[in-house]
Parts: sequence; C-alpha cells; structure tokens
Amino acid sequence: MKLKLLKISALLSVLLFLFCACNSSNGGVKDGTVENSENYIASVNDVPEFDDEQPFVAIRDNIPEFSESDLTAKSYEFYSELDSLGRCGVVMACIGIDIMPDEERGSIGQVKPSGWHTVKYDIVDGKYLYNRCHLIGYQLTGENANKQNLITGTRYLNMDGMLPFENMVADYVKETENHVVYRVTPIFDGNNLVARGVQLEGYSVEDEGEGICFNVYAYNNQPGILINYANGESKLDDGKPYEEKTESQSSETQGKQTYILNTNSKKFHKSDCRFAIDIKEGNKEVSQKSRESLIADGYSPCKTCNP
Amino acid sequence: MNIIVCLDDKNGMLFNNRRQSSDRLLRERIFEITAGKRLWMNGYSAKQFEDYASGFVADEYFLQKAQKGDFCFVENSDINSFMSKIEKIIVYRWNKTYPSDRKFPAELLDDENKQPNCFEFAGHSHEKITEEIYCL
Repeated sequence: MKLKLLKISALLSVLLFLFCACNSSNGGVKDGTVENSENYIASVNDVPEFDDEQPFVAIRDNIPEFSESDLTAKSYEFYSELDSLGRCGVVMACIGIDIMPDEERGSIGQVKPSGWHTVKYDIVDGKYLYNRCHLIGYQLTGENANKQNLITGTRYLNMDGMLPFENMVADYVKETENHVVYRVTPIFDGNNLVARGVQLEGYSVEDEGEGICFNVYAYNNQPGILINYANGESKLDDGKPYEEKTESQSSETQGKQTYILNTNSKKFHKSDCRFAIDIKEGNKEVSQKSRESLIADGYSPCKTCNP
Repeated sequence: MNIIVCLDDKNGMLFNNRRQSSDRLLRERIFEITAGKRLWMNGYSAKQFEDYASGFVADEYFLQKAQKGDFCFVENSDINSFMSKIEKIIVYRWNKTYPSDRKFPAELLDDENKQPNCFEFAGHSHEKITEEIYCL
C-alpha cells in the first residue's frame, strides 16, 4: 500500500478550536454537558493514502483520545455550530439506550450540507455518489434532519466507512445497556466544502473499553470517482486529478477564494471574518465568484476583513 | 470437533481484539444445540457466559483438548493448526456489517458443504440471527 502521508494535524487544530469555542458556551449540548472537552486532543498526523480497498484505517493504535471526565455514564449529545462556510464541526455523544430512537428515520432531503451535489454514477451502489451522511448515525441518537450532524459524504464513506461502527455501537448498547462515548470529527482541507474524511472514536464506559474501543479515520472517497473537495464537483477517475489542470484552467482558478455573502446587507467577507460568522443562516451564501464579479453583482467588500 | 463461530456479512470475527457483537439469546441457542455434549471455550469467551454456572469448560488450550463430537466456541483463537480435527462448523450470522480486522477463513465456508434449511431466530439485540451448518 502506498503510504503517501496526508498532513492534517493543522486542520484538526482548527477544528479543536472551533469545538472548544462552541463548547465553552455549551451551545448544542442536550441532556448533559461536555464541560471537560477543553482537554480534548485530536491529532491525526499520518494517514495512508486511500487505496480503494480500505474504507477506514486505525489510528493512534486504535485508542480513542477521550479525557477521563468525558467518560461519564450519563447520556448526552453535542453538535458543533456550523462554521462560516456552513460546515459541520466535531460532534460527540454518550450513547445510552435512553436516547436511542424507537422510530424509523424521517426525511432529510431538505438539508443541503456544504459542498452538496446531487449526482449519479452507474458504478456507485445505489447510483448516487453523495449521501447526506449523519456524523452520529440516526440509529444511535435519533437525530434526523439536524444540519449540524449531516455532511456531504460518499456512498462508500456512509456504508463502508461509518455504518459498521454505528452498527457495532448500537448493538453493544442495546445488548448491555451500557454507555458508549462516541465522537466524530470531520476533517476539511483549508476552505474546502467537502470533508476529506472523518475521525471516529468510541469507548464503552462501564466496562472500561472491554466491549468497545476504537479510533479510526474513514475516507470520504468513492472508488472509481475523483472528487474536487473544494466544491464537491466530481468525475469518473480518468487518472487526471483535479489539481492537474491545463494552463488556461489554472490561470482561471489561481487565486480563487471562497467568500461569504450577506444577501441582506449585500456585503461580502473573507471566510474567517468575524462578521461572516454572525450572519444569519437565511442571509448567508458561500461563493467562489471573483471579487470583481461580486462587486458587479452589487456586493461591496467588508471594510474590516477587506476581501 | 465442531466449531461454533459468530460472523458478520464479511466473515469478520474481531475488531481491535474485541468481538464484533454478542447476544444473550444466541448464548441460549448455543447451550440448546450443545446439550449433552462438551462445550469448550477460552477465558475471553467464558466472560460472556459468566451468568451460566456450568455447561461449558473454559481452557486456554481447548482446541488441543477437544475430542471428536465436542463443540468449541471460537472467538479469538487461531484454528489453522486444528483444521484436520474439524467435523462441522456452525456459523451464526449477525446479518449486518461490523468493522473487522480478523476474519474467518472463507475457504472453509464452501456452499457445497452447507446444509440446506438454515435456522433463523430473533436475538435480544439483533433482529435476525441465522444459523448455518457446514459439514466438512
């Protein structure tokens, strides 16, 4: 197996910051707290390149990185707020039988996660390349159309990378009525709208990991398909990655930046601008149009971040 | 000897040195089919049978010690050295996929050796468990 290493620890640092920032206000915590999550340390330094055969790989010797105080036997759920690009962050739960659903899942088609495209390929099981992929599976916490828990994930990630772990945790909890602390961290490259993969961690509390203990990275890839993680575009794998553009294409896309638009005030911002974060969801749009095009469309640049 | 194993849809047995799943009604079924025979297992498996005071023998060398007609419940033991002793394999299918990094040898589960009319039952935490029997 090729071992071209993906360096994603910096991304995790950003996610860690977002997670702690969100958590400090306890936003999104239901039926409990994750008050000690500032101790949370996630680091995935080396992940082997996707090789079409392995939907996930064990990392950190398959030992999750929860702090002692995370390992409570009281059920709770936590979902990070979306970031300024509309992307999901860390989600975490202590799965107990009391929060598992007893109803069939409802419709989630109204949610459009960041980078979403409805696209079909004959080589994909079920045809659709992308699924609205629950970070914490519906069978664990019963979260249906929660946009803070849904990412654009390939069919392969959903069915082969994540579902087996959800099945294992769900059946363990149903059988033992013990609790499992479970955390899913989507990994985004820079301002990409589609995650490169997710880190999944699980640990059974009452038996101190004897039943459930894992720390894995699941790839958001689909065998035979190339994905542009910047915006979710895709194509059949013709051996030419998206990065290898022709000269003319390259000059078009060089310097392309993601802007956050306030459709109400008609201002546009850099994605990390503090004013972008505060825009109401109904007024927020993500755009990769050029600065000039946005101005031509009637938008003016934010005077703080000066995009 | 007769081997008893629990497998997922990809013939997986273990992930990170832990069983993929368990079910109390499956344990009862194992006692039912082994009634009157000797049931062997190792200490790891015996922990999930600790509610049963008797009815099985826990021994780390159970695959060496098992005799013709005995049953061996295998979760994390290597059966490669004992192939010639195996008379029958009883597989309990979870009918779903779990993560696995250790699988049962697929070549032992030849359809030609499979008995017709598999028995199916609902477990405590599993909707459907299928019992398949392979006679070698």
